[in-house]
Amino acid sequence: MRTLVFIVLVYVVFQIIFLSSQCARLSSNDDNLIEQTCKQTPNYSLCISSLKSDPKSATADVTGLALIMVNVLNTTATRTLIHINSFLHHIPSPKIKKALLSCANMYYNGIITADVPVSIEALTKGDPKFADDSTLDAAKEATLCEEGFSGNSPLTVDNTNVNNVARVTEAIVKLLL
Amino acid sequence: MGVSGYADPNGPMVYRGIYHLMYQYNPKGAVWGNIVWAHSTSTDLVNWTPHDPAIYPSQPSDINGCWSGSTTIMPWGTPVILYTGINPQNQQVQNLAMPKNLSDPYLIEWVKLPNNPLMAPSSLNQINASSFRDPTTAWLGPDGTWRVLIGSKTDRRGLAILYRSKDFINWIKSQHPLHSAKDTGMWECPDFFPVLINSKLGVDTSTLGPDVKHVLKVSLDDTKYEYYTIGTYNPDKDIYVPDNGSVESDLGLRYDYGKFYASKTFFDSLKNRRILWGWLNESSIQADDIKKGWAGIQAIPRTIWLDKSRKQLVQWPIAEIEKLRGHQVHLPQQVLKGGLSLEVSGVTAEQADVVISFKVSDLGKAEVLDPSWTNPQVLCSKKSASVKGSLGPFGLLVLASKGLQEYTAVFYRIFKGQNKYVVLMCSDQSRSSLNNSNDKKSFGAFLDVDPVHEELSLRSLIDHSIVESFGGGGKAVIAARVYPTLAIDGKANLHVFNNGTENVKIASMSAWSMKKAQIS
Repeated sequence: MRTLVFIVLVYVVFQIIFLSSQCARLSSNDDNLIEQTCKQTPNYSLCISSLKSDPKSATADVTGLALIMVNVLNTTATRTLIHINSFLHHIPSPKIKKALLSCANMYYNGIITADVPVSIEALTKGDPKFADDSTLDAAKEATLCEEGFSGNSPLTVDNTNVNNVARVTEAIVKLLL
Repeated sequence: MGVSGYADPNGPMVYRGIYHLMYQYNPKGAVWGNIVWAHSTSTDLVNWTPHDPAIYPSQPSDINGCWSGSTTIMPWGTPVILYTGINPQNQQVQNLAMPKNLSDPYLIEWVKLPNNPLMAPSSLNQINASSFRDPTTAWLGPDGTWRVLIGSKTDRRGLAILYRSKDFINWIKSQHPLHSAKDTGMWECPDFFPVLINSKLGVDTSTLGPDVKHVLKVSLDDTKYEYYTIGTYNPDKDIYVPDNGSVESDLGLRYDYGKFYASKTFFDSLKNRRILWGWLNESSIQADDIKKGWAGIQAIPRTIWLDKSRKQLVQWPIAEIEKLRGHQVHLPQQVLKGGLSLEVSGVTAEQADVVISFKVSDLGKAEVLDPSWTNPQVLCSKKSASVKGSLGPFGLLVLASKGLQEYTAVFYRIFKGQNKYVVLMCSDQSRSSLNNSNDKKSFGAFLDVDPVHEELSLRSLIDHSIVESFGGGGKAVIAARVYPTLAIDGKANLHVFNNGTENVKIASMSAWSMKKAQIS
């Protein structure tokens, strides 16, 4: 009887070890996909931290990872738009105001209501070139916004973040073409 | 052409004397998305009447989008459309639609088969559900079976998947694709058609025989350029073999070396010609497109035929476009000395048709072509119009502002190659606009013309933000999008220029103001 219990116990222990190593292997495969994907982007650490902040990245394929990045782009761009609006409320000089308004247009009409939804539809439905064009455009809009201040930009950190996120996103989308 | 965003030309055809063009359209905004088939008709391919969308999501097999497709005219003369639909699982499938009422010459309403989709990815056929789209016009084989191609890929190999059917409803996938090529990525908008040898006339898509060759064109998702090859179709084995020396990548032959994509031809049975449509998308940023309220246009339709060399296709704007020509000016034959330019006045320079022909005599002075200069686009970017040369650059400055702060240059440079002279055609957008948010990339092509014996002809059709240029009678074509800020609203100018050290002769030059076409 004791031998039987012993055998069962050993069997159970082995199963636990086996199953947990299976799980470990599963999640290390996906970690592997995230790492392999991020290695092909211009900003590895930004890519890793952005993707891993979303639990869905553990089981996502490359399209799924691209969609997660588009979401990060959306959040980063929205945060920037909020900053632009708060700067506008602080009665800036006419020159700064003009640049801020131009940025607001680029962020709202360019990135948030156009580039982001187009990228999501394109990735979801399998025509990634539209997501490629859109993420490239988003990077461009952020760059142009920054250039509009001719050196006196209150949005440098924001624009740099959006530009970096957009370029990482585009690099992942390119893997799907 | 109208408001909001649109793209790929779809299902072009002629039926009972009326031309139809449908195109990918977003009724909700100047971006890609929510795609339906917008629909316009014309009796002359120049003036168009818009109608309600012909195809829009209405059944599970297209509920998430009605993407590109083509029209096939049945042997008894009525049209049928095959198109890609996006189903509830976001998979790409192929559906059939036909006119609801064949006695309506405008074919406003279309109905779909209840048993759509007719072709779909499955675990059996192993087709990738997000790489299966853009059915071509179908053709009838000698065995009475229909064939159609759908663009696809396996890993990085682009493919034209072949399906066959006896009744146009039940389709069976062929074991092998019609053709494929490694390292080209996804093949979008495939186009497969016969061309007559030694004739400018077009033929029906099902034509076979010793007096035709075949053309296979694909649009490359990867690079957003297209390429075509000319070759032989074997209808018994259902295989297409490109001719020796064909280049299978976007370094190969293109219909258009500029901003031109998702193109499609159709056979115009009214005038026995094959006509090419293409999508010219914007080179501006998204925010500017939203402000304009529209984005994306169709190129001027072009007649297309096989060159007598049989090594390339030739295109020319349809003759009907000439009915928009208004006031005409000429330049008399003259020598244009090196370093000089001539202004051409008397036409509306923002909306014009310019035809010019150059003759070069002292070819010995041509610069030597470095053997590493194999990419014409790169060469044109490095040697813009402001870079002096010996024989060239010479050509046209269009959409030029008064002080030449802005201009788009379309020109030639002649080089001495290995055993012949090489002619480079460029469309230089680098100084097209003071607004730096636009993409001002230049385009180029090598033109297969012998400057020793032939004149160098150039035709440019200018329409505000579009410049379509035809070199050598249509042997090289470049479409460009530009957004000048000064050369607008009646203030644009037109010049002929010569920034080379050597003289060049203007053999002939005519320019016309162009009237507006009716498009909405």
